Amino acid sequence: MHWLGLYFPDLPLEVFVRGQSLEGPLAVTARQGGQICILRCNEAARKLGIRAGQPLQAALALAGELRSWPRDLAREEEALQALAQWAWQFSSLITFEPSLLLLEIGASLRLFGGIDALLQRILDELPLLGYSGRWATAPNPTAAGLLARVAPGSRVTTREALVARLERIPLARLTRDAEARALLNDIGLGSIGDVLGLPRAELARRLGPGLLQLLDRLLGEAPDPRPPWQPPPRFEQAIELPAEVENGAALIFPARRLLLSLCGFLRGQGAATQRLHWWLEYREERPPNEIEQGLLRPTRDPEHLLARFRERLERVTLAAPVIRLGLRVDDCLPYAECSGDWLNGTGAEAEGDILERLATRLGEQRLGGLRGRPDYRPERAVVIAPMEEGGEQPLLRGRLPLWLLHPPRPLRTADGVPQHAGPLELLRHSQRIESGWWDGEDAARDYYLARNPAGERLWVFRDRRDGRWFLHGLFD
Amino acid sequence: MPEKAYQNLLEEGMDRGLVWRGRDDRPQGDAVESSGWPVLDECIGGGWPKGALSELLSRHRLGLSLLLPGLARLSREGRWLGWVAPPHLPFAPGLVQAGVALDRLLLVREVDARERLWAAEQLLKSGRCSMVLLWPQTLRDPQIRRLQLAAEQGDCIGVLFRPLRVAAQPSPAALRLRLLPSPLGMDVEVLKRRHGWGGRHCTVRVA
Repeated sequence: MHWLGLYFPDLPLEVFVRGQSLEGPLAVTARQGGQICILRCNEAARKLGIRAGQPLQAALALAGELRSWPRDLAREEEALQALAQWAWQFSSLITFEPSLLLLEIGASLRLFGGIDALLQRILDELPLLGYSGRWATAPNPTAAGLLARVAPGSRVTTREALVARLERIPLARLTRDAEARALLNDIGLGSIGDVLGLPRAELARRLGPGLLQLLDRLLGEAPDPRPPWQPPPRFEQAIELPAEVENGAALIFPARRLLLSLCGFLRGQGAATQRLHWWLEYREERPPNEIEQGLLRPTRDPEHLLARFRERLERVTLAAPVIRLGLRVDDCLPYAECSGDWLNGTGAEAEGDILERLATRLGEQRLGGLRGRPDYRPERAVVIAPMEEGGEQPLLRGRLPLWLLHPPRPLRTADGVPQHAGPLELLRHSQRIESGWWDGEDAARDYYLARNPAGERLWVFRDRRDGRWFLHGLFD
Repeated sequence: MPEKAYQNLLEEGMDRGLVWRGRDDRPQGDAVESSGWPVLDECIGGGWPKGALSELLSRHRLGLSLLLPGLARLSREGRWLGWVAPPHLPFAPGLVQAGVALDRLLLVREVDARERLWAAEQLLKSGRCSMVLLWPQTLRDPQIRRLQLAAEQGDCIGVLFRPLRVAAQPSPAALRLRLLPSPLGMDVEVLKRRHGWGGRHCTVRVA
């Protein structure tokens, strides 16, 4: 087994601020011994002298512009879940500890081209998601988690190396459990190395069964079963916007983070998607704005999806300042690698791309294919349909025009001769259509090929029931 | 006369089809797609210029019938045929009768003046279309140049359907034809073409 521990020390703050790039001092607070204290703060706050553990009052005295949020454990839990969804592409065995994600990566090393390539990929993408992580690898999850917290950057693959790595670590850092830490402080042993030198019976007596088991797991001497995490069937995440957003362009930043997360999730499932549901939550008590985004082909390329979202946004009016952006995907489709090469040596992806770009910017309803239908009524023999729909062979015969005027345009008559920019010369009877009695839209028409004095060739018909003339088509 | 002024004069002369550019023009500009009408091909230098714009000027922005043999052939070659803002509903059975395969035909409808240009440019330069037909509203010179550039980029035949009255304005399009319906079919007058002079006439028996 080869475990990667990813520790997110700044998670308490990141859950509030990752939706935007914010300037200025920011902090998360927690109640400690009856007063509100700084738990985590950003670099800007540290520069102003703000430190973890400081009372909020004192911090505000140092920096009046400090923005702070009370810690939200539920939101941190959500964020870890979201990170796991993203990380599912790298590992199919994932488990958690507080602020920690543990991934079994032994099985995926070959797929990703070795540990360096895999780490590189993970560490490159984490900041793009808005998180800063510390990492370590070890043969078991307990050790990977501990090392990620206290000795980040450690890479340990053997038990000997693990023991050597652990020896100098202060015993008090073995656990984050407050009661156990008090006990460890009391027994007068300095480092994990000191403990490992003791006979087991004495160790058991001094540490108690809980800590002993933890130590055994750490060294891989006791099984370390973890409940394997299962990804949810659908993707749904939202991102907070601490500085309210009033123009669409500012939604691109958080949208990219959501899409990166989504695409990691999709890769992990071997899936792609063709339909995204975005929602914008407004500050005022307004219903959220739902935005549907359809794609012509399933994809999981974040840049592609972002480009489409950007275009889609151009048609969205923000009703009020936005405080939260959400993304949901209900349908995951099997992902087919772009087979490419069926058109002039380039991929089908590129073709979908241009169609999609048009559909996103203009709206799908303005984009269509032309399809024939087997109906004798000309107005029912043609339909504009979604590109992917097939058509049927038309039934109409005889000389047919290239353009249809819909609805047919009534023609004035003079001395019984129909007029359109002058009297029409009827060149040829083209067809008689009697149809539609079964659906109540019956037609009884005689169609003619006609010409006006300007030389334009027209398709006209006489309604046989009332004798009126109509222009129905142009021959061009 | 300063050099810049000569340059402008030369450019305008080229745009009006008054300057014969010889055989040393950009080589890709030489490729043509036969119109399928021998008499027309002879008039326009072999066919519709590829990677370039052609303008069809007529009273009611007609001229589709001239394109039909070419459309029919290109519709079976895999790339898209883009139709941006056609003035009426294209009559599918009529096109099928003329041999056009409909499944490669892409319609962009109900778009305003700006969106039409945007859509046409995207399609022209995408490389995914063999021909793009555009029924524009008024067009200014820089816009035509932009479309011309897009057509070059995507190796696409761009066809603009424009009213007769713009015949007097110069245009950077590679080919400009004035169309008049006649009892025998369609009278075509070449206003401008590459590597040759305008002024030739022919009648295409489209009907």
